[in-house]
Amino acid sequence: MSARSSIDEADLHALVDNELSGDERRRVEDHLLEHPESAALVELWRRQNAALRAAFEPVARETPPLSLRNAALRNAAPGAPHIESGAIHWGRPSGSNRAPRRLSEARASRRARGFFATLAALIAGAAIAGAAVFLFTRGLGPGTPAAPALQGYVERAEIAFQTYVADPKIAEFDAAPREELLGALQTRLGLARVPDLSAAGFRLLGARVTPGVRGPAALVFYEKSAPNERIALYYERADALGGARLAPRLSRELTAVEWRAAGYAFVLIGPLGAEAIQQAAESAAAEILTGAGAIAP
Amino acid sequence: MVKSLKAPYHVSLMRHATSSSVRTGSSMGQKEETFAEIEAATPFLRRYARALCVGAGAAVANDLVQSAVERLCEQIRGAAVRPAGKEAARISAYRTLTEFAREALANELSGRLSPRQPAVAHALAELPFEERCCILLVALEGFGYEAAAEIAGVRRDVVLARITRARAAFSALDLKPEAPQDGVRRAGGHLRVVK
Repeated sequence: MSARSSIDEADLHALVDNELSGDERRRVEDHLLEHPESAALVELWRRQNAALRAAFEPVARETPPLSLRNAALRNAAPGAPHIESGAIHWGRPSGSNRAPRRLSEARASRRARGFFATLAALIAGAAIAGAAVFLFTRGLGPGTPAAPALQGYVERAEIAFQTYVADPKIAEFDAAPREELLGALQTRLGLARVPDLSAAGFRLLGARVTPGVRGPAALVFYEKSAPNERIALYYERADALGGARLAPRLSRELTAVEWRAAGYAFVLIGPLGAEAIQQAAESAAAEILTGAGAIAP
Repeated sequence: MVKSLKAPYHVSLMRHATSSSVRTGSSMGQKEETFAEIEAATPFLRRYARALCVGAGAAVANDLVQSAVERLCEQIRGAAVRPAGKEAARISAYRTLTEFAREALANELSGRLSPRQPAVAHALAELPFEERCCILLVALEGFGYEAAAEIAGVRRDVVLARITRARAAFSALDLKPEAPQDGVRRAGGHLRVVK
């Protein structure tokens, strides 16, 4: 039993931790065969090791955070000069315990940031709630809703006009089968109005449906014999609110006239002079009012 | 380095040791090799740091690894540290990280551990820092006693004493027999207790 006396707990630990080799290892393993209590201890420690690895092994497999990716190679970027000594490392004082301090500072500032973020969120929430209460107690009177104030029909009409005016297929519904054109507008918008602007020298090109401010809008295109002169009549179902709005800001070459009729907002827009567009708009408005545009001539 | 995950730990360590002793080269090439080795060790440094900071959280662990890697690379560039070979570079990285963690966790209140964490993590959080460091270096990171002693900055028998205490503290844990992992043979796994 000389082997037994020479084997102590340290040898068992060494066996578990792969510190033994060759003969020593064989000697301890032989010892385990004879001493089940030692074998149980070894098995327990192995389970402990396995439990530790199972708990933390996934960390080594997950993708490291951005700050750690290439941390070493980034510091040793090939462009950076390899300064052996006697150099001033700006922003990187060596020999100070800057990093650990920075860590605790970062943690403190993170906590502070968290606190302020919470505070800011609470204040923002209170402000939103207050604004909502203010709006609802005042009632949705004329002029209060935000959407038309943010973007009016004229701006919308301008965007639609600019988008489609140079389109190779300018119209979704061509002028030719007029019944089809009117039918499409009637089903999509609930109102079909294609006024005849031939008095002002404009020929009907066709119409298309485009997103409006609140819903679908119609965009009816007209063309003058001079090829670059295209205008469009934009209309969309309007809320029962006119209200004072800021004057729409249009690009310089475009002119627009806006009016309301039959619960719809109408915008006639095009690169015309103020007088010409006013004239065209008046004839269009008259036709729309009488409903003449809806009736096939 | 990825390969060494699958191989038993002692095997990978021995391979590192031999390759580093054989390799020779210019000082510049050696430096780059060292940086590459530290880079390759980063996932394992993270694993070690996460376990070491088990009571303090993952963010602290990541910060520590970044600080340690940056500091070490800075020292290597400044020639304040010259690890001779890959294994020495790895030991230097763990040593720097351990020093940083010791400093950072000294004034860190632990005990914010989530109850969802496994029992072994709770037991680990209960250990004193030095014992935790030694058991993790050996059991989790696969270092030998000599290397662990170098990293912890103590003598070999101190490492062994700390491991003994840590294992005694763990013995209260109710650990299930290790489930056989898919195709991965544990080092010394041929040894089974026969009833």
